[in-house]
Amino acid sequence: MIKIKNLHKSFGTLEVLKGIDLDISQGEVTVIMGPSGSGKSTLLRCINRLEEITSGTVIVDGQDIMDKNTNINMIRTEAGMVFQQFNLFPHKTTLENVTLGPLKVRKMSRPDAEKLGRQLLEKVGLADKADTYPDHLSGGQKQRVAIARSLALRPKAMLFDEPTSALDPELVGEVLEVMKQLGREGMTMVVVTHEMGFAREVADRVIFMDDGVIVEENTPKEIFSNPQNPRTQGFLKSIL
Amino acid sequence: MGFDFKYSVMWESVPTLLVGMKLTILITIFGLVIGFVLGALTGLLKIARNPLSRKLAGVYIESIRGTPIMVQVMFIYFGLPMALGMRIHPMAAGVVAIAVNSGAYIAEIVRGAFQSIETGQTEAGRSIGLTHFQTMYYIIWPQALKRMIPPLGNQFIISLKDTSLLVVVGVGELTRTGQEIIAANFRAFEVWLTVALMYLVMTLSLSRLLNYFERKMDINK
Repeated sequence: MIKIKNLHKSFGTLEVLKGIDLDISQGEVTVIMGPSGSGKSTLLRCINRLEEITSGTVIVDGQDIMDKNTNINMIRTEAGMVFQQFNLFPHKTTLENVTLGPLKVRKMSRPDAEKLGRQLLEKVGLADKADTYPDHLSGGQKQRVAIARSLALRPKAMLFDEPTSALDPELVGEVLEVMKQLGREGMTMVVVTHEMGFAREVADRVIFMDDGVIVEENTPKEIFSNPQNPRTQGFLKSIL
Repeated sequence: MGFDFKYSVMWESVPTLLVGMKLTILITIFGLVIGFVLGALTGLLKIARNPLSRKLAGVYIESIRGTPIMVQVMFIYFGLPMALGMRIHPMAAGVVAIAVNSGAYIAEIVRGAFQSIETGQTEAGRSIGLTHFQTMYYIIWPQALKRMIPPLGNQFIISLKDTSLLVVVGVGELTRTGQEIIAANFRAFEVWLTVALMYLVMTLSLSRLLNYFERKMDINK
């Protein structure tokens, strides 16, 4: 589903990703952990080309994202992105946020788009908030709308960039619940998060990054109970 | 020899002044419509990726902001025709002056409003597969427009008042009409007071109108 080979990314003289190799197969849930500045968000953002890669290849759904013949807008609809800061469109209602992609990108008819939008809002538990503007929603509700907005394009994979980091602790659960359900339904997911409970319960694999490289990867059970690398051990100790 | 204030002079001058006021309004409307288009385009050029377009926009904005509008008006009316070898109608010169002048300030307003929209909004738009243009049109522009309204209102009022400078090229707008009435009746106090009140009526109406739009666009009330 997603193949990354020898990916390098620099911002000016600062090399943030120093050769990443990663294969994510269909239906797999991958959690990426690591200290801040380790490059995990940048890695995620390279997958749908929100960041231009410096060198290496990224292949999403069989298409090289840097290839001239690849329509990057179509790649982005196949790999939905959920942001730490939600980034809902404040001038549009919840339903309009969700239907914009289907209407303008998928060229769906308005009744079909709205039907799909309402279904997805129901799926994330917000059917009654369809006509509400984002400013009137809690953080947890906003993030659930953002997930519905991405799902509205029927993506083959979902990328989550610290989706619960900006939330009050009591609101984290409702977002993780939606994500767990997605994982159980077989969605391919790449999740940058420090939520160990989520990783334990849903992840097929946990990747630990530090200083621009993948330091260690294993099943959640193995990596949490028996981390091999000293950097992983140190990090896990610090977040427990 | 006390000053003898005559209300009647004010009333009597109103019909003639209204003719000038109509011209003031016309120049303001045409000048600002063109100025807004010019400003919006220049503002977008100023934040474009192409360095040449940024440079061009910068030169235009800086040269207009850095010179007095009076000089701009005279340059357009007296200067340009000499170089181009053709006469220019005073009204046209007035509209062009207001458009070119307001355009430079509006460009900065547009640029500021666009840049104030968080990059996350663009990223969210792009991440659901919208093109750059669609993201601008559906996501950034509506939010930026809302933030532009207060400073735009300010600029509209400034431009409206700036039309009084067109007196130097002989456009028969409100100020010029006032001057002409005074030349005949010598009642400077009453006539200038009436002229001032008429400008005030126009600027206050404009503020009201803009407030109305601002409230209408405020979705979160």
